[in-house]
Amino acid sequence: MTFVIAHAGHWLVTIAYFIPVIGFMAWLAVTQLKARRQRERPDSDRRPPA
Amino acid sequence: MTLPIAHGIAQRADLPITLGLFLFGSVVVLVVSFVALAVLWRRPLFEPYPWRPLSGFLGRVLSSRPVEILCGATGVALLVLVIYAGLKGQQTAAANFAPTFVYVIVWVGMVAASILFGDVFRAFNPWRVIGRAVALVARLATRGELPPPLAYPRRLGYWPAATGLVAFTVLELVNSTPDDPSTVAIATLVYSVLTFIGMALYGVDAWTTRGEAFSVYFNLFSRLSIFETREGVLGLRPPLAGLTRIQPGSGLVLVVAAMIGTVSFDGLSETGLWVDIGGALGDLFGSLGLSSETAFEASNAVGLVAMVALVFALYRLGIAGMKILDERRPAGQLADWFAPSLVPIALAYVGAHYLTLLAFQGQAITYLASDPLGEGADLFGTAEVGISYFMGARLIQWLWVALVVGGHVAALALAHDRALVVYRDEQDKVVPSQLWMLAVMILFTISALLLLLSSNA
Repeated sequence: MTFVIAHAGHWLVTIAYFIPVIGFMAWLAVTQLKARRQRERPDSDRRPPA
Repeated sequence: MTLPIAHGIAQRADLPITLGLFLFGSVVVLVVSFVALAVLWRRPLFEPYPWRPLSGFLGRVLSSRPVEILCGATGVALLVLVIYAGLKGQQTAAANFAPTFVYVIVWVGMVAASILFGDVFRAFNPWRVIGRAVALVARLATRGELPPPLAYPRRLGYWPAATGLVAFTVLELVNSTPDDPSTVAIATLVYSVLTFIGMALYGVDAWTTRGEAFSVYFNLFSRLSIFETREGVLGLRPPLAGLTRIQPGSGLVLVVAAMIGTVSFDGLSETGLWVDIGGALGDLFGSLGLSSETAFEASNAVGLVAMVALVFALYRLGIAGMKILDERRPAGQLADWFAPSLVPIALAYVGAHYLTLLAFQGQAITYLASDPLGEGADLFGTAEVGISYFMGARLIQWLWVALVVGGHVAALALAHDRALVVYRDEQDKVVPSQLWMLAVMILFTISALLLLLSSNA
C-alpha cells in the first residue's frame, strides 16, 4: 500500500492550532498535581529540622 | 497500507479574515470571558433561579387544554403524513414531503423552536399523544384497573435516548441513501414501535423524560429558552437557567457527547481529510469482502462513533483534570453535574452546521406541504413557491463564528455557575477547576471553527 502525504502540510498546520492548548493542559496538570502532593504531605515533613 | 493525509483541512478561499485570525479572536473572547466570570460572577445565579407564570390572555391561551389537544393532533397527523408520503409518494427526496420534514423541519427546525419557545416538541410529540390516548382508552375500558407500569430502572438512565440519537444519526450520516423517502418512513415506523414498547413497559412520562431520544434531545435544547411550563402553567425564567434543573443520570454525558460528536462528524465528512480517511477505511472494509456500498457505510459508522468517542474523551479529560483538585467527589458524579454546560456547545454546532440547511432547504416545505406525495397536487396554492437564497456567504461565515463563540461562552458561564454551587464550601477550587473546562472549551471551539471554515481541499 502507498503512503499518500502529498498535502500533509495542511493537516500538520491544523494540528499545530491545538498544540498551545494541549501545552496549557499539561502545565495545568503538572502545577495542580504538585500543589496536591504539597497538600497531602504529612505536616511533620514540612517542619524544619530540629 | 495507505496513510491518508493527501488532503488536509485548508482554509476556504472566501473568508473575510484569515482562519488563524478567526481562531485567535475566538480564543481571546473565551479567555476574556473566563476572567470576567471569575472576577464578576461571585455567587450562583442559576441555582435556584426565578420563575414567574406568564400572566394575561396569551399565557392562558397557550396553557389551555384546547391548544394542547390541537398541538397533539397536529403532531399525530404529521407522523401519519410522513409515513404515508414516504411509502406511497414519489421516491425522490426533492419531491417527497417525508425527508425534508424529518431532516430539516423536525431535526433542525425544532431545535430553533425549542430555543425560542421552550419545550415545543413535548406539545407536538406524536408518540406521547398516542401513548396517553391509548392509556386513557385502556383505563376507561378496564374502569381504572390497569396494572401500573414497571419502575424505570435507575441504571438505564439516559442510555436509551443516547442510543436512539446515535441510531438516528446513523440513518442520516452513515446510510448511503438517507433521504430515500421509503427509508425515512420505515425508520419512523420502527422507531414508533420501539417507543410504544418503552412506554408500555415504563409508562408514557418516564419513557418520554429519559428514554425517548427526540424528547430528551429537544428538551435539553429547550432548557436554554426563557419559557418553562410548570404543572401546566407557562412561565418565564432566565435564559440558560433551565439546564441546571436536569436530573443527572447515567448516560447523560453520552447524550451530550452524541449531540456534539455526530454534528462534528457531519462537518468532518465534508472535508478532504475525511474523503481520504473514509476512502482508506472503505478500501480496508472492501478488502474484507464487503460490497462498496456496505464498505462506505462501515467507514462512515467508524467515523461517527470515533467522533462521539473523541468528544466524550475530551470532556472526561477535563473532568479528570478537575479531579486533581477534588479528592472527595467521584469523577462520574462531576461528569454528570457539569454535562449540561455542554448543551450550548451542542446548540452552537447544530446551529452553525445546519444554519443554511434550515434557512434555504427549510423553505422547500412550503411547496412540499402543498404536494406531499410529489404527484402534482397544490393543496395550499404554494406548489410553485421557490427557494430564496437571502443570505450571502460572508454573513453566513460571521454567523457561524458568532454561534460557535457565543455557545462556548454560554457553556463557560454555566459551568462557572455550577462550580460555584458544587464548591460552595471550597471557594478556592472554583477558578482552578474551571481552568480545565476553559481548556476543553477552547479545544472544542478550535475544532468547530476548523471544520466550519475549512475548504474541501
